[in-house]
Amino acid sequence: MEYVLETNTLYKKYKHFSALNGLSMHVPKGAIYGFVGKNGAGKTTLIRLICGLQEPTEGTYTLYGIHSDQPMILKSRKRMGAVVETPSIYLDMTAVDNLRQQYTLLGMPSEDGIPELLHLVGLSDTGRKKAKNFSLGMRQRLGIAIALAGNPDFLVLDEPINGLDPQGIIEMRELILKLNREKGITVLISSHILDELSRLATFYGFIDGGRMVKEMSAEELEHTCRKCIRVEVSNLKVLARVLERKKIEYKIISETEADVFAQIKVTDLALALAEENCEILTMQDRNESLEGFYMSLVGGEHNA
Amino acid sequence: MRKLLRANFARLKKSTVFWVCMIVMFLLGIVLPLVHYSDKIQSHYEVPLDNGFFSYAIFVVILASVFTSLYIGTEYSDGTIRNKIIIGQKRVKIYLSNLIICICAGVFFCIAHLIPYLCIGIPLLGFFESGILPILLFMFSILIMMTAFIALFTLLSMLVQSKAISAVICLLTTFCLLLFGSFIFARLSEPEYYEGYSYTQNGITTTQEQEKNSLYLEGTKREIFQFLLDFTPGGQVIQLSGMETGHPEVLICYSLILIITTTGIGIPVFQKKDLK
Repeated sequence: MEYVLETNTLYKKYKHFSALNGLSMHVPKGAIYGFVGKNGAGKTTLIRLICGLQEPTEGTYTLYGIHSDQPMILKSRKRMGAVVETPSIYLDMTAVDNLRQQYTLLGMPSEDGIPELLHLVGLSDTGRKKAKNFSLGMRQRLGIAIALAGNPDFLVLDEPINGLDPQGIIEMRELILKLNREKGITVLISSHILDELSRLATFYGFIDGGRMVKEMSAEELEHTCRKCIRVEVSNLKVLARVLERKKIEYKIISETEADVFAQIKVTDLALALAEENCEILTMQDRNESLEGFYMSLVGGEHNA
Repeated sequence: MRKLLRANFARLKKSTVFWVCMIVMFLLGIVLPLVHYSDKIQSHYEVPLDNGFFSYAIFVVILASVFTSLYIGTEYSDGTIRNKIIIGQKRVKIYLSNLIICICAGVFFCIAHLIPYLCIGIPLLGFFESGILPILLFMFSILIMMTAFIALFTLLSMLVQSKAISAVICLLTTFCLLLFGSFIFARLSEPEYYEGYSYTQNGITTTQEQEKNSLYLEGTKREIFQFLLDFTPGGQVIQLSGMETGHPEVLICYSLILIITTTGIGIPVFQKKDLK
């Protein structure tokens, strides 16, 4: 698999606090990578490092195959756009002037792309309105437009839906999907709003305490979180034997419990188990959400 | 660097703070020669154009502190400095482009003041009595001194990530330096002796002999004070604004040392700085 970004045991220590503790992650090309973690887990710190705003205390990362300690990393950053925490926009300028600034910084030969960019993010009709009078959603979208000014292949969005109203969240989701599907932009989104991420991400990285707990594709996650029936029996060996005989997929959870991944005929199963002196104690439908999965990964003591 | 400068100049043109400072300097350029002309009419003494001409050095330094801190501070408060770094601009270039743009703004402030001052002052007060060369030398000295101040403000503004705090620090630094310069200048201006005098009261004439001034600075202490007055930007402003120095070229050298030192410290510290 080709990776846009790879980090290799990254550490970032501040005076009395370690924000990253050997974080390794892999962002595949073309993915919408959901970077999941609670507040203070190290999401923004990692983004600051890859954007060049801060230097890692230890460890390295590669962006488009270029090592972070090589001078060429500055050039490879030109292929990325980012909105870190709050959108980086001049509040006393209009949307067009903000984009003109970015175009000048990038050395773009012409400003012809500005109207198209404003149309893409839905800010075509802002006219002479200054960014300080924009809603939070409009500012976010302008921030994304600025990040897109250099036609990046890789877009990094740090908590892009924080503070947005439901309409703004939907618009943001549609914009991200459009960028990914129509322009083929790889997107890294950090968020702790798991439900929203689950509608977007094709790949996930779960971070806790500055470490990567697990990386997986959306398919793998779906497989892990899929619907099942949790069955508690008096003899688990018998249950396993019966399920294998019936070619039903299952996963053993404890000494008495197993998750069964199929619509089973309860009477058939109960009779088959009874023949071998095995009792069904409890049965319940289970549908693990992304949130539930995340909580099980990080211990579940704190809110995600 | 050219891209950064082009973007910075475009922002400068749209900066409210810049235009407010320009208007203030322009208005001072109109008011000050009129005030001097009014003095001339009321006192019936000649008030040459030279008199108070360089007082703009004080105003430009104060306005430069406000402008530099707010202009650079906006990059942090609006987060736009991140855009420059993310697209791969080198930090040293970002630092230098901000310094250059603030120096240019300072030069524009001076021009905004000098044009109306000369246009109004020359017809009302006549031409410079000191001759054009010393005037040009003083103007150049003020330009370099202003650059030293701006280099200091740039250092402070680039290292303090809060716009409000950097504005307060820059203004306080300016006033502290000006007060320090005034104090040193006042001490050095103390006369060596109090003049002798005599007066008559009820037919009795009393004569007071010339008396040594205990505040008069001598020897090494005087040399140290003179060095501080020449070296510190505040001392330079006080001297240059009143044409009170006989060696402006020395002040230029000291200012250049300050510019190199502050920028030499600022760039490596900014390069290592963790940005939010």
